[in-house]
Amino acid sequence: MAWEYSEKTKQLFMDAVHGKPGTHLGEVENPDGVGEHGSIVCGDALRFTFRVERHDGDPLKDVIVEARYLTFGCTSAIAASEALCALIEQRRYTPIQALKITNKDIVDYLEGLPAQKIHCSVMGAEALQSAVHNWAQRRGVDLEKLGIHLSMVGEDDGRIVCKCFSLTEPYIRRKIRELNLRTIPEITAAIKAGGACMSCHHAPGGLQDILDETWGRGGAARPARPGPAAAAGAAAPAPAAPSAAGGPSPFRVMKEIERVIAEQVRPMLRADGGDIEIVDIKEGVVYCRLAGACAGCPGAATTLKLMVERTLKEQVDEHLRVIAV
Amino acid sequence: MGAKSVIYADNNATTAVAPDVVEAMLPYLRDRYFNPSSMYDPADAVARDLAAARRDVAALVGAKPAELFFTSCATESNNWAIFGAARATPSRRHLVTTAVEHPAVLEVCRQMARDGYDVTFLPVDREGRLDAADFVRALRPDTLLVTVMHANNETGSVFPVGELARIAKETDPAIVVHTDATQSAGKLPLDLAGELKHVDLLSFSGHKLHAPKGVGALYVRRGTPLKPYLLGGHQESGRRGGTENVPHIAGFAAACRLAREHLAEAGRIADLRDRLERSVRANVPFVEVNGAGAPRLPNTLNLACHFIEGESILYQLNAHGICASSGSACTSGSLEPSHVLRAMKVPFTAVHGSVRFSFSRYTTGAEVDRIAEVFPRIVHQLRRLSPYWDMARNAPRPDAPGGSPA
Repeated sequence: MAWEYSEKTKQLFMDAVHGKPGTHLGEVENPDGVGEHGSIVCGDALRFTFRVERHDGDPLKDVIVEARYLTFGCTSAIAASEALCALIEQRRYTPIQALKITNKDIVDYLEGLPAQKIHCSVMGAEALQSAVHNWAQRRGVDLEKLGIHLSMVGEDDGRIVCKCFSLTEPYIRRKIRELNLRTIPEITAAIKAGGACMSCHHAPGGLQDILDETWGRGGAARPARPGPAAAAGAAAPAPAAPSAAGGPSPFRVMKEIERVIAEQVRPMLRADGGDIEIVDIKEGVVYCRLAGACAGCPGAATTLKLMVERTLKEQVDEHLRVIAV
Repeated sequence: MGAKSVIYADNNATTAVAPDVVEAMLPYLRDRYFNPSSMYDPADAVARDLAAARRDVAALVGAKPAELFFTSCATESNNWAIFGAARATPSRRHLVTTAVEHPAVLEVCRQMARDGYDVTFLPVDREGRLDAADFVRALRPDTLLVTVMHANNETGSVFPVGELARIAKETDPAIVVHTDATQSAGKLPLDLAGELKHVDLLSFSGHKLHAPKGVGALYVRRGTPLKPYLLGGHQESGRRGGTENVPHIAGFAAACRLAREHLAEAGRIADLRDRLERSVRANVPFVEVNGAGAPRLPNTLNLACHFIEGESILYQLNAHGICASSGSACTSGSLEPSHVLRAMKVPFTAVHGSVRFSFSRYTTGAEVDRIAEVFPRIVHQLRRLSPYWDMARNAPRPDAPGGSPA
């Protein structure tokens, strides 16, 4: 297998997939808190719901008694979702207490996660925050007043740094600090940012810049950078060869070719139920495709070569060549 | 799970070594260890065996033995073909390839771009097909090399390499045409004297056709400008240094002989593949068969299940002893799903849920039926967990994302 999972991770995944009693797959009916994180575009997504035992007087004393998830993702994403729900239910947390659960707790519950899979645990912690935020709104709890600042609120509006996974600057900044991320590979492993096209790594305002601003230049050595990528910028050498001195312009030749094909070649082919399409004309070569009845004809290539090429040589330029496409 | 029998359906990754191949190798691992370049009778006998092996391998692709050079793997062959052609003709600065090449070509082309070359990456359509018109438009007066794979490793799509080579050569005989035939050699008839007569360079390897890992070949048509890649010896007519890996070459030759005998079995393998494809289409809703609309290798079935993730599918298949692979991001080592499926614009709701089954002549009908039985159950189980799936209707939730590709 591509990834080395702990026995606990594998067990949780298998139990979840087979719907073993005590697992937490699904959605709570009439939930008191709903949270989501991730998206199908990114390759994993989690919808987390919980139900509380409501306290009559004080919503802060609500206790989470049921937690459920639906997860689109790999083995470890599903196991991490299971871990999140199990942690919450076992401890009979209030929603505010549940906020203390970090991705580290999830990793510990799973008895470790491969470094490249840490983002699966981060996803669980984020969905939990978002669900608690939702609960607070429903129950009229002012989290700010309690001194609780849910960092995810409003982060969606920030500048997008990682376009592949739609991750904003405020979110990336917060996660760098929360998870003590020091290098780009660490960021990618934890929150996936920069894990696909990689163009945000060293772009202005990209991951390296954010790291430098957070930790200072010495926080993590900046890797040596090669010069700017040459692929797109390389000058295209050798422009098309100019037409022979004194001859007609390439544009005129092209128009002539099109005229001869339209007036002489096409009518001949159409008489036999066929047709011809010019794919491209360049460097003295006319690329043609036979269509209609001609397309499947075993003599098609010969037709093109002999009939079309001869006609064009006679009528336009004796150096012209025809290639069947 | 306990002891379980293995159903091997990942033959595009590697293949079982044929028993006859092992037998063919053993003498060279025991008594016939001599260096074929040495000057005594026992070594000369090994040199003669090496020549015979070269004939057998060349025969699989319709080549002359003198045009066939042994390498360590197809990756080496591809590196040699591209770097070697570029070094032989430094005045030309443009390459044409496709967006769906194996990394052994794609990464070399990207390195060429970093080194200042212009590289055109041809797109493919939704069925994985190239458009010959795109190819024609890409050709330039300074085009050095065309490198287009013969068959795609992920989807099995077969490209009209013979036709593209003809167009390139008719346009400009100095354009070098290379094809990576790693996936088609041994699965399709290849004829460098016939259909592929305009191809200059062709790479393939042993371990995809029931020889062991560690041996490959590059066909180099006589007269093709190509510098050596591996320097350091007079071996292979001075074109590829390094003492010949005689045991593996002997195995490769035996495997090529067997592959020629078994080419006729392609129909049976295609029947098995089609049987699984029909069964999956009938029993799994919202599944894509990637590349089904174009010519395909007989042994390959690439499925993409909407709203579930490929690694979890592989994990579950593994629990049933079924070996397959996926283009999912979670199995790729990076976080990006398959470049091939993205180039084909497979909907983003499905691109993470791809699974590839690839069969061989050892695959049995009973094994295929077992996969057909297990696979829909696995998809069903995973969809139960998916936030985008409505189990009651067995369809995506109304609010599930869809529409435009990622």
